[in-house]
Amino acid sequence: MWHNKIGNITNAVTCPGCGLSCDDLQLEVSDGQLVSLEKGCTLARSFFDTALTPHDHNPMIDGSRTSLDDAIAQSAELLRKAHAPLFAGLVTDVNGMRGTLEVADHCGAILDHCNGDGLFRNIRVLQDNGWFATTFTEVRNRADLMIVVGNQCFDRFPRLIERVLNPEHSLFSSASERKLILLGPWDNGSLPTDIEAMACTVIPVEHRQLSDAAGVLRGLVSGRPVNMQAFGDKTGDQLVELATQLKTAKYSVIAWSATELDFPHAELTIQCLVDLIKDLNLTTRSAALPLAGTLADVTSNQVCTWQLGYPLRTRLQRSYPEHDPLINRYQTLIAQKETDLLMWISSLSPQVVPPVTDSPTIVLGHPGMTFENDPDVYIPVGVPGVDHPGHWYRSDAVCPMPLGRLRESDLPAVSQIMMLLNNKLLQATGE
Amino acid sequence: MLTKLTGGTLYDPANAIEGKVRDIYIRDGRIVSTPPASEPVHRSYALDGKIVMAGAIDLHTHIGGGKVNIARTMLPEDHREHVRRSTTLTRSGSGHATPSTLAAGYRYAEMGYTSCFEPAILPVNARQAHMEMADTPMIDTGGYAMLGNDDLLLEMIAEGAEQETINDYVAWTLHATQCIGIKVVNPGGINAFKFNARELDVDDLHPHYRISPRKILRTLSLALNNLGVPHPLHVHASNLGVPGNFHSTLSTMDAAEGLPIHLTHVQFHSYGAEGDRKFSSSAAEIAEAVNRHPNISIDVGQIMFGQTVTVSGDTMRQYANHGHAHPNKWTCMDIECDAGCGVVPFRYRDKNFVNALQWAIGLELFLMIDDPWRVFLTTDHPNGAPFTSYPHLIRLLMDRSFRNDLLSQINPDAAASSHLSTLDRVYSLYEIAIMTRAAPARILGLTDRGHLAPGAIADIAVYHQADNPERMFQQPMLVFKQGEVVVEEGRITRPINGTTQVVRPDYDPGIEKRLGDWFEQYHSIKLQNFRISDDEMAAGIGSAVTIHPCRGRN
Ligand code: SF4
Ligand SMILES: [Zn+2]
Repeated sequence: MWHNKIGNITNAVTCPGCGLSCDDLQLEVSDGQLVSLEKGCTLARSFFDTALTPHDHNPMIDGSRTSLDDAIAQSAELLRKAHAPLFAGLVTDVNGMRGTLEVADHCGAILDHCNGDGLFRNIRVLQDNGWFATTFTEVRNRADLMIVVGNQCFDRFPRLIERVLNPEHSLFSSASERKLILLGPWDNGSLPTDIEAMACTVIPVEHRQLSDAAGVLRGLVSGRPVNMQAFGDKTGDQLVELATQLKTAKYSVIAWSATELDFPHAELTIQCLVDLIKDLNLTTRSAALPLAGTLADVTSNQVCTWQLGYPLRTRLQRSYPEHDPLINRYQTLIAQKETDLLMWISSLSPQVVPPVTDSPTIVLGHPGMTFENDPDVYIPVGVPGVDHPGHWYRSDAVCPMPLGRLRESDLPAVSQIMMLLNNKLLQATGE
Repeated sequence: MLTKLTGGTLYDPANAIEGKVRDIYIRDGRIVSTPPASEPVHRSYALDGKIVMAGAIDLHTHIGGGKVNIARTMLPEDHREHVRRSTTLTRSGSGHATPSTLAAGYRYAEMGYTSCFEPAILPVNARQAHMEMADTPMIDTGGYAMLGNDDLLLEMIAEGAEQETINDYVAWTLHATQCIGIKVVNPGGINAFKFNARELDVDDLHPHYRISPRKILRTLSLALNNLGVPHPLHVHASNLGVPGNFHSTLSTMDAAEGLPIHLTHVQFHSYGAEGDRKFSSSAAEIAEAVNRHPNISIDVGQIMFGQTVTVSGDTMRQYANHGHAHPNKWTCMDIECDAGCGVVPFRYRDKNFVNALQWAIGLELFLMIDDPWRVFLTTDHPNGAPFTSYPHLIRLLMDRSFRNDLLSQINPDAAASSHLSTLDRVYSLYEIAIMTRAAPARILGLTDRGHLAPGAIADIAVYHQADNPERMFQQPMLVFKQGEVVVEEGRITRPINGTTQVVRPDYDPGIEKRLGDWFEQYHSIKLQNFRISDDEMAAGIGSAVTIHPCRGRN
């Protein structure tokens, strides 16, 4: 629930620990400390533990403690001097991103997310071809055949099986009808234990073979000749059988995490999976379940898209938005020295620290963040869903989940910092 | 503070004022009656020779929500060609068919619009729709929540739930989603597509629930009537775009059994299957039926030639039309046992027989439906064309020779098979004011806008007189929002933010037990997290609610 009031025990808490965004957590917080946590996975526990650990809340300039006013003044000064400021990280809630975009518009900044590479593997497919996708509640209730691509989804989204793939209740698809196919570089010893309850088949293929596998499946589904040479006999047979299952399934689902698919041209692999799904829909139903949303990549991208008309990797230097998914990649901009200031926004995890750069750096960061080299300005900010209410997007980009407030805190939200910065910048230009 | 607008020529159909010179007084954002002469006027505007109307209201425009953002993502080319620079007052933006939220708000205001309604809010996506609309400055907003493809309602109807129970669910949905109306899109069809059905006509049975779209329509229209919700059921009928679909549209009218319903983008639902190409205009049949049924209102969904994108909750029909995608890319989505969406870019060509006839059919509907209080000016933005083409559309309605010039340029077979050349009717300014102000306010139950009598919000558009109505409506001289000038000569002079318009019919909170159990078992979101509170609207989403009265439950 979105709430500003604080109660000691809170039900139905939304977890921003990963893109699954489970909203059934029960938390007890007393004196700002975590007393108990139910329903959450280990990732959730570490998220709330870290967020609720006491930290120094003081802003820093060049590693020395300072006041918030001075930190804002110094940041505004740096922003005013910059010709090509880069706003990256962008791990924040909807209102944090709204504020960020307002300041970005004012300063002519370039925008990218810390997980931009993963995010854009999916977005580029959407931009070039579109897809046929589905969401968690549909999968819970309709899916009778689920293919999980790669081998990291269960680590990245720990409650995927319980919450989505094999729920206790389902409207149209009973547990006995549900088949799970793991298509990825698995060796049998490493399967997660909660899979045991499901009818599960492993088809071992390497990441780089995934597009070939999708191509073979497409060919088999549409009755075209296929070349199976890339696969051994056993895997080949499994793919033939999977093609038959896909054709006869009532509602098949193919899930992947684009962040996991970290190899050159992985967007083409996603394209192959999407093409397979589109083909299947000629005769039966099938849909993609792209798993994303962790570290608010979907959140900041959604807000950017509606406010600027483009996804992230957009620049505002010429006083209007210009988008390029390759040129505006933050790592490249830093490496090629095409930016002269970095504002790094990272409010959910102390581990997501700014990249190394020669340019002046402003960090709006998780209060638990530590630095090898002190940034020019560091402003510790509140954690959304802990220190302040907010919204963030689940994996599917359809359901913005409400985040509540769990404790009294003097940590400002990113949105508040952005408002202060904007006011300071407006003052300076005399508007 | 008292503001006076002096000497303007008023077109205020709600108060039966047609082209009369009247002064208007404004205090605290509202229009007030003539104050005593002793009271000082703080600001006055001389409007001699100017046309004065209430701010325009768009009751059907896709300006916010998940599918619009998918369309923006899919069309960088649309955005590259249409940029809006930031100024000292306004933010930057981009896009023509799917403008960014800020650009859409500015452009609407620059055309004299002061209230806009997003017609297809998936309940589960309501937060996003409201966030996007909160980021659409200058205008007040509101939305219609989609029901009638959600498994929960279909299950209730199939199990023979009491109408009372369904009324409670409908009312609960309006509260939970912060909406002002209910829309049904291809009743049962979006859901049936999830069971692999590819069509579902008004009297077909849903493959799983074994209920017909007719039953769904009847149940929902009755619920809104019982609840006293002012806006009748907003209906996107079955078989959108299918040749011969006018039969389905007539059956849909029939299914209402005399209860009020609003049929949206009827142009897409007025097709016959006659002629060599098995595609013909049935606008005459539809217009005749609308004229005969006083319980029916429609908006047209006029198409204009050029590039746009179709965004719809109707996954079934969007999937069926994906082969027409231009450029060749499309997206569909099944969403949360709630509904779905489909995004298919489209280019309407004047030399193409079907597209040209679609254009003519829309105009035929405008010209053959007698009562301007029951037909609304829309392009179903962006499905028929972007909303920015409204001034052009107004000219087509007001200027017969202009219309006939354009008719002579379209595909000649389409022109020949249309009645358009024989239709002499031209709309008057008064009728334009009805269909863009007075009537939408009335059909939405908004008594505080759409007119210029004391008590109304001072949302006012002032136009220069011009022979060319397109020029006139493209760039108002002044636009007042809540009594403040926000646009001068078509440029934003004062950025502001609006509120969200909602209704709050009574319901038995006991319904939450049944809903909560269903959510608990089948949904991936909890009921508590589904509902949007007023606090959340104001402080979190960024748009406070304005509550409009219901008639009371009966
Ligand atoms: S699976 Fe993800 S969202 Fe769910 S509890 Fe674990 S970390 Fe949180
Ligand atoms: Zn529409």
